[in-house]
Amino acid sequence: MSHSAALAASEPSPYQIPSRKLGIWMFILADAATFGAMLFAYGYLRVANPDWNRPFAFWPSIVNGIGMTVILLTSSLTMVAAMLESQRGRTSAALRWLGATMALGALFAALHLREWVALIGSGWRLFRNPLGGTPLVGATFFSITGLHMLHVISGVVVIGVIGLGFRRGRFTASHVEITGLYWHFVDLVWMFVFPLVYLLNMR
Amino acid sequence: MKRYVVVWMGLLAIVAAEVVITLARPATLVLLAVLLALAIVEGGLALLYFMHLKYERRNLLWSLIPTLVIVLVLMGHFFPDAFRLMHQRGTAP
Repeated sequence: MSHSAALAASEPSPYQIPSRKLGIWMFILADAATFGAMLFAYGYLRVANPDWNRPFAFWPSIVNGIGMTVILLTSSLTMVAAMLESQRGRTSAALRWLGATMALGALFAALHLREWVALIGSGWRLFRNPLGGTPLVGATFFSITGLHMLHVISGVVVIGVIGLGFRRGRFTASHVEITGLYWHFVDLVWMFVFPLVYLLNMR
Repeated sequence: MKRYVVVWMGLLAIVAAEVVITLARPATLVLLAVLLALAIVEGGLALLYFMHLKYERRNLLWSLIPTLVIVLVLMGHFFPDAFRLMHQRGTAP
């Protein structure tokens, strides 16, 4: 036995969680700092630009945002159900909940894309503001929500891959739990994006 | 599962509160403070219950959360320097 292997055998794991779970927590920590930096940048840019426009009317933008928030929060609940069922060994029930989570994630992305298409249709671009104010409004909105949407779409794909592997017995309940941690993090980020980017920019 | 449904309902209630407060049109700084506070409560509930930090060993929570808070506080502290430096640029020779 090598020295490091002997140490690992004699010393208990400090967090008493599998290494893959610690790995996803490290990823979440780094990703939270990334989103934190983007939201701080948005905040300071907004304060530094007196000609900042508020692009969102209550109808349809904020109502659409409320719908997206409810959908994402509900998808976290279905993800928890998938994790619990997978831990109880009920594969088909876990797969049904994973499917529901994927469907809700896809619906969230579709509503978000519809929002983007409407904004682009009314002249908003990454560096263009049709209302005549600073172009940074579009830059920050599309950057922050685009990065979040990328996380949602990636999450839907990952849940699908893990679900398929779980059905075939290649992945375990632990993999479902770790995927769930990522999905809840995506939900957690939206809990800050919705009030800071949408509600604070309501006309 | 019942516990998670209660947390989910609590999260929905917080979102509803955020929208109602925004519609009341308070001053922007007041709105920012209230929305941030509510978002932190929401995030805390998601971390503790949906992400199970409440049921892990305490040292995991104490390793992760203060680290993130320190990083975010330092970001908030040093980001304004980017604006100060913009004004310190000399003119081209």
